[in-house]
Amino acid sequence: MTVATWLEVLDETIGASVRHHRPDLAERLRAKRAQLLDPQLRVLVIGEANQGKSQLVNALVAAPVCAVGDDVTTLAPTIVRYAEKPSAARLLHDGTEAAPQRQAIPVDQATGRGGDPVTTEVRLPRKLLAAGLVLIDTPAIGNLHQLRAQNTFAALSGADAVLLASDATQELSPTELELLAQVRRLCPTIVLVLTKIDLAPRWRNVAERNREHLARAGVQVAVVPVSSALRLRAAQSDDTALNAESGFPELIERLRTDVLATASAPVARHNFATMTGTAIAELVGQLNKELAVRSDGTDSPAVAELRDIQQRMADLRRRSARWQTLLADEMADMMADLDYDLRDRTRKILREVDKAFDEADPARTWEQFEGWLADSLTEAAETNFSWLVERAWWIADKVSEIFPERQEVVPPSLIPADADMEPNDPEMPKLDKFSPGQRIFTGLRGSYGGVLMFGLITSLAGLPLINPISLGAGAVLGGKSIGEEGESRLKRRQAAAKSAAQRHVDDFFLRFSKDCKDASRRIQRGLRDHFTAVAEEIQQELADEAAAAQRAAQVEATRRERRNQELRQALAKLTALHGQIQGVAGALPAASKNPLGITA
Amino acid sequence: MTLDSAVWSLLHEALRLYQDSPRASNWLRHHISRFDSPLRIAVAGRPGVGKSTVVNAVIGDEVAPIVVDGGQVFTWYQDGPQPHATVYMPNGPAGDPPVARVGHRMDIDLSSYASSQISRIVVDWPARVLRDTTLIDTPPIAGEISEQIAAEADALLYLTPQVHVMDVRFLQSIQDHPVARAAPVNALLVLSRADETGGGRIDALPTAKQIARRHRQDARVRGLCQNVVAVSGLLGQVGRTLTDSEYQDLTALAVAPETQELLLSADRFTRSPHSVSAGVRRELADRLGLSGIRLATALIRQGAGTPAELGKELVQRSGLNELRDSIRRLFVDRREVLKARSALLGLDVVLRMEPRPGAGQLVTDVERVLAGAHEFHELRLLAGLLSGRTRLPDELDGEAQRLIGGYGTDLEARLGFDRTPTEPEIRTAIYDALGRWREQSESPLLGSAERDAARVVIRSCEAMLTPS
Repeated sequence: MTVATWLEVLDETIGASVRHHRPDLAERLRAKRAQLLDPQLRVLVIGEANQGKSQLVNALVAAPVCAVGDDVTTLAPTIVRYAEKPSAARLLHDGTEAAPQRQAIPVDQATGRGGDPVTTEVRLPRKLLAAGLVLIDTPAIGNLHQLRAQNTFAALSGADAVLLASDATQELSPTELELLAQVRRLCPTIVLVLTKIDLAPRWRNVAERNREHLARAGVQVAVVPVSSALRLRAAQSDDTALNAESGFPELIERLRTDVLATASAPVARHNFATMTGTAIAELVGQLNKELAVRSDGTDSPAVAELRDIQQRMADLRRRSARWQTLLADEMADMMADLDYDLRDRTRKILREVDKAFDEADPARTWEQFEGWLADSLTEAAETNFSWLVERAWWIADKVSEIFPERQEVVPPSLIPADADMEPNDPEMPKLDKFSPGQRIFTGLRGSYGGVLMFGLITSLAGLPLINPISLGAGAVLGGKSIGEEGESRLKRRQAAAKSAAQRHVDDFFLRFSKDCKDASRRIQRGLRDHFTAVAEEIQQELADEAAAAQRAAQVEATRRERRNQELRQALAKLTALHGQIQGVAGALPAASKNPLGITA
Repeated sequence: MTLDSAVWSLLHEALRLYQDSPRASNWLRHHISRFDSPLRIAVAGRPGVGKSTVVNAVIGDEVAPIVVDGGQVFTWYQDGPQPHATVYMPNGPAGDPPVARVGHRMDIDLSSYASSQISRIVVDWPARVLRDTTLIDTPPIAGEISEQIAAEADALLYLTPQVHVMDVRFLQSIQDHPVARAAPVNALLVLSRADETGGGRIDALPTAKQIARRHRQDARVRGLCQNVVAVSGLLGQVGRTLTDSEYQDLTALAVAPETQELLLSADRFTRSPHSVSAGVRRELADRLGLSGIRLATALIRQGAGTPAELGKELVQRSGLNELRDSIRRLFVDRREVLKARSALLGLDVVLRMEPRPGAGQLVTDVERVLAGAHEFHELRLLAGLLSGRTRLPDELDGEAQRLIGGYGTDLEARLGFDRTPTEPEIRTAIYDALGRWREQSESPLLGSAERDAARVVIRSCEAMLTPS
């Protein structure tokens, strides 16, 4: 494999990231590209507070370059790299994106800057660093200064290797294990450095337990126990035995084999493969998701619309059955109600008539009565009819509620505003009046009996048949007969008037109720025609919409198919790219048989 | 009415109101009985912060941890005439495992129990500190444990070697309750394993104490706890349980010239040849840690001539005395306040879980008690003065502590009489103090925090005037 190949693969991945709208990935990969082209190897020393990170860096280069303290000390990173002559500088960012300003300071003052949150760079002539190794001491993760920890995380993606410092007096804490898992995603070359073993009599147990913890978490990380204090002391007194005891020779050896060995062949850096692999996996995941959504199909708007229209059509069918029943039921109800109402009203009128003619003499009051009857009947008919109109409108409204999409009014012509409510004049009954001749005759007939009766009685007393008494009695009886006859004639007249009125009212009722029923049926027919037309219109509209939606869905399906094709092609390309990476990077972990999870 | 009597009557009022609900009335009865029992102090922290060691150091015997098949359970240490233990299980009768005292150590046989079936172990142990407190050793912090701690303990010792974000989150979660927020007076932050500070140098403990002082001022920690104390549980425990033979071994180490080389690293100390046998050295290293041995040998060379003297020195340096002092003055002396706080928390649970029409008045009363409880303010101020968070001029500091009940909460102690004073004397003393502190509360020389402190003192004085 030539160098050009990995560069090509990387460039192609960057291209793919841009194509698939992931500028963030592209940015990360570009940074990686720049870093890979840089021959330096960045080793980040991270860990929680007071785990001896700074002291570890000091011990590695055997010089006090990082500030060491008892509480949280390191506030900003210290970068240690190679130079022929020792030098130190503070890197000041002025807030702009430009490269930081360098402010040279004496080497022995580098540690004095521990309190300032300013990045310090120290250059030292060490064999370890000569191969391009750059050690970076970072602020603690998880202490109260979260912001600094975030900076550390940001720096992680640019790291070639990570030394995670953990105190040998305690096992790895859950937070440290979590940190490890996070770090592993960004930078897979990790060495767990167990610091301060000079302090912990049982560091071997702790190391063993830590290895168990790591195995349980599924993290393959070497555990290297060291003692920075011993190493620094050994460096002071040039004591090789003590140096060996400090564990640092092993750590440096590990840095050489695990980290430095990759320096000459950037493609061999797992980090490159992991990072590019992660980027591709992310892209593939994105495409897969898109594919999954697409093949699912439910989310497509055109299909959703079509489905919606179909739903609405079924709904409409259900509704048309409903409105017809509703109309028929309501109309039948209305007719029954109106009929009853009219009957009730006429009955009331008849009762009035009866009452009136119990008293009054139709011969005298007929004219007046005729007028009253006509008025009453007209009023009853008007009320009844206006009720019909009202009720018909109400029914029309109720039925039109079933079609909420059509709020147009029912045409007013469907329901007549008035009807022929003029009752004819009632037939004048035959009223036999008591004429004066009849009166005289009746009076004479009555008085005759009286005169005779009393004349005979008084004749016994010797009076003549015609005497004042018998004449008086005749006059009384004659008057009585006239009265009785008048009474019975009045009764007859009243009966005749009543029956005439009854006939008239019945006639009117018959005629008017027929009119009403006709009107109701006309209204019913009118409404039925109207709403049938409305339903048909709606159905037609829906059918048109459905056809349009179907067409749209078809168009979309074609487009989706085309996009799917594109996506599959893109996926195939990415898979090929991933294969190339594997080829370039050599053997990736065997466990990842199908690391991308490509199913499409 | 004092806080505890107000809360006491609230509890009974609630009991009357909820007498038809067995769950609520059981809960309330539990809280009423808890009101009279010793103060419960939970010792909590992340794994490996030295909870059990601190428990041992405070009790003075090696009673913790109690490990049941590799796991830890809630263990209560309470006073009792004889060493005794009771194992409570959620389903099944309480167990009675054999317990024996061996010197300073407790031997307990729990081989027949599984940790999953034990809800808690209650150990009776004769110790002076347990007479007015019950210590609860808790399993390492996980999800539900914080709730259980918040529900069962009146006060909390939170241990951590380094103040980590997780620690702050835990302390916040403990106080995430309306009642708890209104009275954040029940936690002490303990910087444990202080002997390992700065790589276990001989001056590790003074350094740790300085760090603790810095944390007391830290705004992120200040509101969450009453005080921050640096403690080396290991040294405290050893100091209180040092045996003669251990002292002799330490002396032998101290006088041997080759010991300095050995003390370079733990490996050298336990493996290199020395006149003291390797087995003994290993035991010592386990018990004291390397930094502890460095300190102990240095102390012996400086003239700690007897085991008692060495023990005293170790305890003195371990920060245990400060811790016990803080526990005594902030927790034990203010038992009623903390108990009332726990009871209000318990009452609040009932009122929220089973709201009912008649409870409206009770809710208002709880709020009124909470808002008006001057005792909480006193305790807060006392903690501020003790920890140096609030600074008053020297001559005022002592008087303020005294008046707000820092040396005892009865009238005589508050006013600083060492004999029984007469009624007029008391009145004069109170008016005297009142006038002085009124002046301070408006003094332009003091900052706003100090003027607030003065106002709290004034309220304490006014409270003394009203006969309770």
